[in-house]
Amino acid sequence: MTPLQVYRDDGPLAAWLGRTVGAALRLGEVPLTLLGALPLVVALAWPLSALTTGAAALAVAVLVLVAGAASGRAEPGRFAWVTPPVLRAVEYGAFIKLVALTDGDWMPACYAFLALLAFHHYDAVYRLRHQRLEPPAWVRWAGGGWDGRLVVASALALAGALGPGLLVAIVVLGPVFVAESVVSWLRFVAAERVATYEDEDVQDE
Amino acid sequence: MSIAAHSGRPAAVDRAPGARRRAAAWAGASALLYATTADAGGGPAALLRLDAEGTTILGRLLGQLADLGVRRVWIVTRPAWADAVGREAAGAPQPADVIVAADIADDLRATADVAGRASDRLIVGRSDVLAHREALAGLLADPRVTTGVLATTSGRRGRWAYRTRSARGRMLSASSPFHSIRRPSHFFLGFLKVDRRDLATLEEAAGRLAELADGPGRARFEEELARKVVVWRRRRWQLARAAQTGLWPDPEEIPLDPPLDPADEADVAERLRATRDDAGAMLVVGLVRSGVHVSSSYLRNFFYARPRSPEELAEAQAELAALDEDAVLLDAAVKGADGFFTTYFVSPYSKYIARFAARRGWTPNVVTTISMAIGAGATAAFAIGSRAGLIAGAVLLQAAFTMDCVDGQLARYTRQFSKLGAWLDSIFDRGKEYLVYAGLAIGSTRGFGVDVWTLACAAIALQTARHMVDFSYAAGRHEAIAALPLRDLAEPDERDGPPAAAAETEAEAQAAEGELPGPAERAEPPEPERRGLRGIAAAGVRFITRLEKRPATRWAKRIVALPIGERFALISITAALFTPRTTFIALLAWGGFAACYSVGGRVMRSVAR
Repeated sequence: MTPLQVYRDDGPLAAWLGRTVGAALRLGEVPLTLLGALPLVVALAWPLSALTTGAAALAVAVLVLVAGAASGRAEPGRFAWVTPPVLRAVEYGAFIKLVALTDGDWMPACYAFLALLAFHHYDAVYRLRHQRLEPPAWVRWAGGGWDGRLVVASALALAGALGPGLLVAIVVLGPVFVAESVVSWLRFVAAERVATYEDEDVQDE
Repeated sequence: MSIAAHSGRPAAVDRAPGARRRAAAWAGASALLYATTADAGGGPAALLRLDAEGTTILGRLLGQLADLGVRRVWIVTRPAWADAVGREAAGAPQPADVIVAADIADDLRATADVAGRASDRLIVGRSDVLAHREALAGLLADPRVTTGVLATTSGRRGRWAYRTRSARGRMLSASSPFHSIRRPSHFFLGFLKVDRRDLATLEEAAGRLAELADGPGRARFEEELARKVVVWRRRRWQLARAAQTGLWPDPEEIPLDPPLDPADEADVAERLRATRDDAGAMLVVGLVRSGVHVSSSYLRNFFYARPRSPEELAEAQAELAALDEDAVLLDAAVKGADGFFTTYFVSPYSKYIARFAARRGWTPNVVTTISMAIGAGATAAFAIGSRAGLIAGAVLLQAAFTMDCVDGQLARYTRQFSKLGAWLDSIFDRGKEYLVYAGLAIGSTRGFGVDVWTLACAAIALQTARHMVDFSYAAGRHEAIAALPLRDLAEPDERDGPPAAAAETEAEAQAAEGELPGPAERAEPPEPERRGLRGIAAAGVRFITRLEKRPATRWAKRIVALPIGERFALISITAALFTPRTTFIALLAWGGFAACYSVGGRVMRSVAR
């Protein structure tokens, strides 16, 4: 996988959508992602009092279906860099909105969950950068991918159990993400491969 | 010590002196030095004498290389200088053999031969260089550079050096006596480090390059060199004319073979003598065009000179003696392109903490961990939820950030780059910041009765997305650069289509030399006209690029992007003076603006591309 594909953090659902629906579509990765994100962006900007959990869940469904269909393509292009940050922004935004819609008292749990996701996402970047290795596919699938997480979160929100669900996710996923990462680094330190470093453009004046 | 006789081809490298200690000699780094340029008097520039005892530039360099762990040296020189260079090699601290070569084609064949024998990293360099040990150490001892060159952007240090173009830390193009370049950005300072894994590529490229400069290719080689001389002469004429009339002459006005005054004429001749046998530059072209990832180690403010006469040597020695190498090293440990707050409010004193830590023998990872611990302390203080807690948290956060700068500076100062270090630094940086957000949110609820968790969530989402923009954009550029087609070694001209006539190389010459920039409107080669959206975007990119040229606008641009130093300062100031709510609103407002700015700029660049 290319780094940009790793940064997407697709789960099994998006991967399947990409293979089936996506293969039949002619639209590129970036247009599909932007198109899929549009309803959710509107929902995020919509006032909380005028938004229902059902409407937010519908916007999430559109995102997963349309942006998920763009999964699995390694399209090089001038705008290929746009996709990962868009997916991150709408994913994190959707979690905040869903918690705010259902029970705002769970916002500290939402923060902790976002911090865990952030660890997961930064970890993939730093490992590609320094180890030149991507995290194994099973970790990405264990995390459900952005698509799986959002579908489960929407379902839990509709059932009124998002807050406790986030707590369970932190307890289950936290040790998996952190332990797997630490083990990979210990293995890397013991291995003979040299570390690579992010190249920086330095002026020496 | 033995001198291999020259017999058309470079004679086989004589391994007699090394045979006894082969295991030790072959295990470490080895070096191949070219003592092939003549000084102003016609002797080898490498053997100019530094002092009354007769230490030569080459002798000093051999000592420096031995000190940096180079266990084996080959010195390539011309037949007439073989005896003198041989005496120098006999006194070298490491086994050193002399290879006699008649011309640049021989030099390159000798290089292929040595590359085929070396089993670990190989340094290829010039032997007429007077430089700080640390300048060479930056290339040799820095594990971050696997295959790379010593480079500078300074026209003074890079006098007559062949130029290269780099983007995102990777060399894209290089020039040599045979190859020309467009839009150069750096000077290649003659030292090249080749990783073990790239030695086979070096061997093959050197062999092919030798063919370019030999036999039937020789005429074409001389033709390209002659074309370069024309560009230099026309440039000299242009500069002299501009100095005389105060007006910058149009490229069309410059004669194809302009008359030069004797001083300029001598200067061009001297330049040709100093650069015509630059086999190192040929090798850099060879590696880049073979798809090798060539990175750069920067000279920074270290001393580097290629004296061409006893007078120039005396001048260079005086300048070298006036420089405090440790102070320069400490300055060089400060990251080159950093934020405004970090550069002006933290690094000026944090580097002394780094030196203190170095003298105590602390490792960067220890400092990183201390920084994280102080960050956790700041979080606890913020979480108390009182004014005193906020002020204490603000102070502790600044202390943590200082230590954060110290770890990198310590690593660069002592060249301790551990595998774990970069990751620990990155993860703890993010960890500290997001922990502090949580501390502020807890403190706000406890002490001020305001629930700001939603704002905290928005802040972490925004910051992570902002970083993701940076990471993804960089990954996209790396992908695009790696996908660039490789040019053949036999192609002298970098541009597409037939080789350009001398008159057409003027834009290149202007961009290439840059020793004396002309009037502003002449400084940039004309851009191809673009229409519609692309044209608008290209104009926008030009505008942004122009902002980079003035310090004031360059700093403004960096401050707007809200880098980590500014972010931590913003958190400290707003938290100490106001409430956590204000801190989050400030972070979201400024960060949101920064996100729009950076995404907008990059979209524009992508459209223009």
